[in-house]
Amino acid sequence: MIFALVGLLIGIIIGLQSGYVFPQGYSVYVAIGILACLDSVLGGIRSTLDNSFRLKIFVSGFFGNGILSIALIWLGNKLNIQLSIAAVVVFGSRLFQNFAYIRRHLLDSYEKRGNIEKNEKQ
Amino acid sequence: MKKDKQQWYIAIMGVCILLGTIIGIQYNTVKKQAAAIEMQRVTELSNALKKMQDENEKLSKQLAEDEKKLREYEGLLANEGDAMKTLKKELDQVRNYAGMTKLQGRGVEITLKDSSMAAQSGGDINAYLVHAEDILSILNELNVAGAEAISINGQRIVSNSSVRCAGSVVNVNGVKIAAPFVISAIGNADILEAALVFPGGVVDSLSPWGIEITIKKQEHIVIPAYTLPRQMIEASPVEEGGNGA
Repeated sequence: MIFALVGLLIGIIIGLQSGYVFPQGYSVYVAIGILACLDSVLGGIRSTLDNSFRLKIFVSGFFGNGILSIALIWLGNKLNIQLSIAAVVVFGSRLFQNFAYIRRHLLDSYEKRGNIEKNEKQ
Repeated sequence: MKKDKQQWYIAIMGVCILLGTIIGIQYNTVKKQAAAIEMQRVTELSNALKKMQDENEKLSKQLAEDEKKLREYEGLLANEGDAMKTLKKELDQVRNYAGMTKLQGRGVEITLKDSSMAAQSGGDINAYLVHAEDILSILNELNVAGAEAISINGQRIVSNSSVRCAGSVVNVNGVKIAAPFVISAIGNADILEAALVFPGGVVDSLSPWGIEITIKKQEHIVIPAYTLPRQMIEASPVEEGGNGA
């Protein structure tokens, strides 16, 4: 959990300091890519808590989701369908689900630890 | 197991750094884009303003030049003989008819105010405002009643004058004017008033909406001249007896 936040923070600082900007017109794609990747990261954190983390799945999901969502948006633009809405809804709701799972898991383990300490005292 | 977990953390952290970098760059991009769009709009508007100002300057210069030329011709004419004097008199008269001179005389002053009922009724506000059509129908009635010169809020009405709704204001001769509208007309005040106030007349048709119309007979009304440049590009006179096809 913390290592992910630290990584994000370091990345954001690097990105802000770099002074680079994406070419005009690409920012829609990048925004959706960011959403997809955020979803992957939360999914990854969740699986580490489950002890079901698999590196290949995580990395392929991170890049695969990003690229697929960008490709979908591109296709949607060509066909005049607002597929970005679909991507936002799907990734957004999954983001919240993953976050809820992580929160529950952390709270559970925290309370369990408290109980164990109480039992040891008795 | 322990080594595995370490690997996971490193992977997630690495990916997070990458993701964070993209987010940072995207933040920069969005910030720059907003500023760019704003700048673009400002340049666009100031360009348009500059163009309009240039055009305005050019036109008023042309107007001044034309008027100077006219003065010169008139000065020449005044020095000539009787025939020229007659011509000059005719020219003055034509200019009066064309609305190019400031005129004064007896007449009426009509004031139109937007209705104060709109706020209470809560219905369609548009019905309670003075529209270009209302003004046009009043102008029409005044012309029928033999008005010799008409102006609205200082804008002289001539043969090619336009009265048109432009959003919440009214465009007269291309100049925006807003309520209250003051229509001044020179002519026989009694006839002019009678043309507006009769059962089923213009005043009758507007009063249900609460539009306030006041008609004042005046002994002395001044009506300004038409000042915008007029051009005839397509039209040319047909010679009497010529082939006017």
